[in-house]
Amino acid sequence: MTNTNHGTFFIERRYDADPQRVFAAWSDTDSKRAWHVEGKGWEIRSYELDFREGGRETGSFHFLDGVKVFGEETTFSNEGVYEEIIPNERIIFTYSMSRNGKRFSVSLATVEFKADGGGTRLMFTEHAAFFEGADGLQMREQGWQELLGKLDAFLAKGA
Amino acid sequence: MQRSVSHATFVIERAYKQAPAKVFAAFASALAKSQWFGNAEELARTGEQSNFKSDFRVGGKESISATFHNSGVTHSYDATYWDIVENERIVIGYQMHLDARRISVSVGATEIKPDGAGSKLIYTEQGAFLDGYDDAGSRERGTQGLFDQLERHLARGGE
Repeated sequence: MTNTNHGTFFIERRYDADPQRVFAAWSDTDSKRAWHVEGKGWEIRSYELDFREGGRETGSFHFLDGVKVFGEETTFSNEGVYEEIIPNERIIFTYSMSRNGKRFSVSLATVEFKADGGGTRLMFTEHAAFFEGADGLQMREQGWQELLGKLDAFLAKGA
Repeated sequence: MQRSVSHATFVIERAYKQAPAKVFAAFASALAKSQWFGNAEELARTGEQSNFKSDFRVGGKESISATFHNSGVTHSYDATYWDIVENERIVIGYQMHLDARRISVSVGATEIKPDGAGSKLIYTEQGAFLDGYDDAGSRERGTQGLFDQLERHLARGGE
């Protein structure tokens, strides 16, 4: 029997870089990979970004501690579609997440970039439908908090 | 242009006399869905043809557009299927345009559950309305109207 839960969360964060630079960290494949994809604890099996309206973003990540944390070899995969791209202003995408091939969520994410002094105020809103075996709203929000923190560190390096 | 996003969620619950498999079939078959979702009742009155298209599988697309006589405005719906569990759940992402203007991007989840000999349908839509477009509840009313048409379609035998 299926089980579906819905939730919404909102994260606001300020960056010391201007909207052009913050936006470029989402639109450029190497930049996006650096803060959004790479990290400790997983092996990147695949990552592709086709940043245009209607374009797709896919990734597959094998967790090194999968057996310990999840009780089995664990690969997470994401699949996204860019619904709207307004350079330096807004990105809207839909995406699903799967664990070992089993889809557990479908989301709509809106990213708004607003000039704020010499920096950028970024507003991230996610509407999600969580299925059987899903991480749930709290963990999803925590995951995005971490990612948006990694974006800050990436921008601070001056890339 | 001053960019803005307004987020909204609504839930619609309906009870149908037909079993889940019958209700699900009204979504899964493009011909059946065109009868209630494709505005067939209105088109039969005006003698026009529907351009409804549906490719009911994960990753498949669905679309319909119609030009309203009183306003001359073309309303376009473009959806992608993100999750399908037979007789239980259908999740789509979709955009609406008024002429060339994108007014919303949404995730819509339809859950179908057995309810006695019939079904309970729960539809949850989480959406982003764009750039000052004021929905004022019309999306929810329009969706209610679609589920009324589904009820009449099922009462006719659902073929």
